[in-house]
Amino acid sequence: MKIYVFVKRVLDPDAVNNYALVGKLEIGADGRSLTQTAIPDLMNAYDEQALEVALRLRDAGTECTIHVVTVGADRTAILRHAASIGADEISEIVPEDPEVDVHTTAALLAAFVRQKGTPDLVLCGRQASDDDQGVVPALVAEALGLPLVNVAKAIEKHGDSYRVTRVTPDGDEIVAVEGAAVVTLSNEVGDPRYPTAAKKLKARRVSPEVVTASDLGVSGATRTKLVQQFVPDVEQNCEFIEGASPAEIADRLIERLREDRVLP
Amino acid sequence: MGSTTVLLYSACPREGSTPEEARSALTLGRATAASLGGDLEWFLLGAKPSDAEAIAAEQGVARLHHCAAPELGADTQVAALEAFCAAHAPRIILFCQDFDSRVVAPRLAGRLGAGVVMNAVAIETGEALRVTASAFGGDTRGVYEFTGDGTAVIGLQPNACLPEAAESPSAPESCAFETDLGAVGERIVVIEAASSEGPRLEEAEIIVSGGRGLGASENYHWIEELAEALGGMAGASRPIVDEGWTDASHQVGLTGRITRPALYLAAGISGASQHMAGCGAAKAIAAINKDPDAAIFRYARYGIVGDCLEILPELVRAAKEQRHE
Repeated sequence: MKIYVFVKRVLDPDAVNNYALVGKLEIGADGRSLTQTAIPDLMNAYDEQALEVALRLRDAGTECTIHVVTVGADRTAILRHAASIGADEISEIVPEDPEVDVHTTAALLAAFVRQKGTPDLVLCGRQASDDDQGVVPALVAEALGLPLVNVAKAIEKHGDSYRVTRVTPDGDEIVAVEGAAVVTLSNEVGDPRYPTAAKKLKARRVSPEVVTASDLGVSGATRTKLVQQFVPDVEQNCEFIEGASPAEIADRLIERLREDRVLP
Repeated sequence: MGSTTVLLYSACPREGSTPEEARSALTLGRATAASLGGDLEWFLLGAKPSDAEAIAAEQGVARLHHCAAPELGADTQVAALEAFCAAHAPRIILFCQDFDSRVVAPRLAGRLGAGVVMNAVAIETGEALRVTASAFGGDTRGVYEFTGDGTAVIGLQPNACLPEAAESPSAPESCAFETDLGAVGERIVVIEAASSEGPRLEEAEIIVSGGRGLGASENYHWIEELAEALGGMAGASRPIVDEGWTDASHQVGLTGRITRPALYLAAGISGASQHMAGCGAAKAIAAINKDPDAAIFRYARYGIVGDCLEILPELVRAAKEQRHE
């Protein structure tokens, strides 16, 4: 069977968070890009978990080709990482405009999959940790006419159908879906695997297939553009509660919460 | 130019009253409709809330559409909305963002060829339609512009705005929307439903939440004990859920529960934006952290700089004493 895994290169969200917390996150002259070169790029962690689930399906005995695809130019580093942990094929789709929106991204991915032939499974992260939008999987599912199962942590194959465990606000739910589907994965999958040194070395010699938007005949799919990005203000207004001992501090907090009617 | 109608869509799986999020979304929708010179409409699919007419009037809704549906799977919802849009062509479709609408909204956009922006906190109309949305787990806001005049699908973050009644109530026209949903086959079949017994964190008035500052899994019981002593529920940050100190149903944050309690007590939680996205709407946050520079103190109304393992047992004692007074 053929499994596609869609991955995105993002700025390290922890590094972005660290800069933001100390008030030092810089927005570029265009008013919308994060420009700090000290913030590293990496594969979106949820997408890494999607790849991990594809690899676990293979570990469980499913014969499959795992094809990892990304949108954007010069994405060799994350694609080689994918190859080093077990992806069979790696491809990057170069969009017309590097500031590609979610709608064009989805159109490119759907056209790519359509051109390659019918998938059995399309996996990706529940959302990207940069824009947090989480809409590309749904747009791809609609474009390919496939059902979408979101926020999953495990997939089992039973003949032609899949059993997917979803992490819902009410707890885990198990759903069945017949035939091909798009499934998004969440952090509950657990830690993704690391490559061995030998596989890492070997992956250095593989290069991704490069496909362009015009190869796929995709244009005019843009519906939104990012025009501005900013760091929201937070007004600090904290009353620090002190005391001679933990007991005194605890009593004082409870007292203050009652005075302000936060507690009944 | 297309229509200028702003539509709020609500899926109503159970009978009951209108959730607060829908009132907030109607308030935001009313302002957007007014600036576009259009009407605010509301489309309810499923069981109509008993107070829907009253809320619609309070919020200045011009038309209240209702469509009954036997079940509310994603395929049914998308099909109903697709039919509704074919008949009414709203300019903007608003969703109160929750677990299900994170699938239904973008799928509808895909079905209609419409643009979509999720995690929205503000909408601006002017020369172009612009939506401000949370990004990087709440660290930044992105402003997106819709590039055409076509339908725009927008997912509103809970708490994007406070509900406010219209200056003068409207007399909403009730419209029954009929479409054949019988032929829609749900492609996803639930084999084992989530066991949602017990109260939900989203509805808790008091939440006591723990993070890595607890040091070890065996200390999480202090969170549960304090929650019980205060008559609240226990929450957790994502790192300790990932570590297995407690299960995912307690996870507060962008990818967990989005809560809005009266009191959120955070012990040993640093206050990363990802976490604050799930508790920032609390009326009051009290924080205990060893690090006086921890981000959580930027959001907290009450702060204790100290080791939560020393403070929590004393808080349990103090809370129990208070209860017995």
